[in-house]
Parts: sequence; C-alpha cells; structure tokens
Amino acid sequence: MTPKEELISRLQTIVSPYAQNKEALDAIHEDTDFINDLKINSANLVDVILDVEEEFDIVIDNDAMEKMLTVKASLDVIATKLNEK
Amino acid sequence: MSGNDLVDLRCAALESNWQRKGFLDKLFSEAEKAHILSSADPFIQVWTYWTMKEAVYKIYSRATGIRTFAPAKLLCRDLDRYSGTVSIDSELFHTRTSITPNYIHTIATKGFSSLTDIRIEIIEHNGDVPEYASKKPACLSHHGAYLALIY
Repeated sequence: MTPKEELISRLQTIVSPYAQNKEALDAIHEDTDFINDLKINSANLVDVILDVEEEFDIVIDNDAMEKMLTVKASLDVIATKLNEK
Repeated sequence: MSGNDLVDLRCAALESNWQRKGFLDKLFSEAEKAHILSSADPFIQVWTYWTMKEAVYKIYSRATGIRTFAPAKLLCRDLDRYSGTVSIDSELFHTRTSITPNYIHTIATKGFSSLTDIRIEIIEHNGDVPEYASKKPACLSHHGAYLALIY
C-alpha cells in the first residue's frame, strides 16, 4: 500500500459508520464526495472531523474544516496538519 | 430564493451526540453555545440552530455556487422561539421554525415578508427521495422518516 492508499483506508474506516451508501464506501477513492457520493448526513460531517482529529491526533481549525467535503480535500488537510506536528 | 431544513428528532438522537467533546465548538459561535447551554432543552436548541444554519446555507450555496462546511460562520439570532435571523458574510436572512415532538423544520428567505409566501408540505416518507419533478419544490429536505418540501 502506498502512504496515500493507507491514508484513504484509515479515512474509509472513519467514515464507515456515517456513510449511507455502502457501495460508494467500498469503492472509496480520492474524488469521493462525503455528501453526494457517500450520502453522509451533513450533521454527521462534524463527527467525521472529530474522528479524524482523534485518529491522527491533530487539531483541525475551522478554515481547514470548511474544505473537508471530499476524500481528496481531507487527505490534504491531514497531510498538512501532520507536517505541522 | 428560499431554503428549508428538517431534522427528524428520533434520528438526531440516535445518529448524533451533541454532548460529544468538540461537537458544539465546531458548529456554533460562542453566543450560540452560551444560549444552547443555558436553554431549558439544549437538545432542541442545538437542532433548532442547526436547521436555521442549514436552511440558509442552502440558499447561500445555490446563490454563490460555493460548497463549504463552515457552520460556525452562519450566525443565528433568535427573535423569539420560532423566528430568527441568520447572517453570513454580512448578508442577513430571516427564518421561521416549527418544532413538533417528532421534528424541527425551518424555512429561510432573504426578505422577512416573503416568509409568509412559502407553502410547506411535510410528509412521512422513508427510503429514497422520490422524483417530485412535476411539483418543482423550491427546496426540499429529507431526514429520517420525513420529507419537507417548500414552494
């Protein structure tokens, strides 16, 4: 697994309790959209963010959180925050 | 332009834990948090504010084409239990909320007077959102057992 694939796999585990479209969850990739593809309820996006913070031991500020609607944007935020540690 | 949002309270209680650490901090302003925590029913206040923010976000994102997850930038003010305002980027929207034992539903518009022009249809509905093409709602919201359409 490449480092990116490993990150996507960890993200897949995090979003799995909230994803209502299980087929899209199984086929998760960089361009997957949390709301449009995975059908995550918008009220649960905050749980995804909080779970990502716990899993990666990072703090996601509101400016970073704004963008986290897709796998790709989330990977960017996680990578940036991990680098800052 | 108008927007709406419905929260099925039974689902909200199952799917979200508003008391989770960090939950309120990420979604609400300091003033909103203070109001939630001092209210008689914080659970109802959380979801009232949430539907206000979501209803206005739908108008905002349609008008600007911007998709974002920035709930704390949408600032709620209640005028009374059922009507309020939400501002974002110095734009002000008016809201009206209905609270029942089963759900909370909020409608939003730019002009206060156009709130009364909105026709609301709320039906019990499970499963996928049906094709309502012939009825052409201005906005719709589906959560749990309910589908809310506005015209």
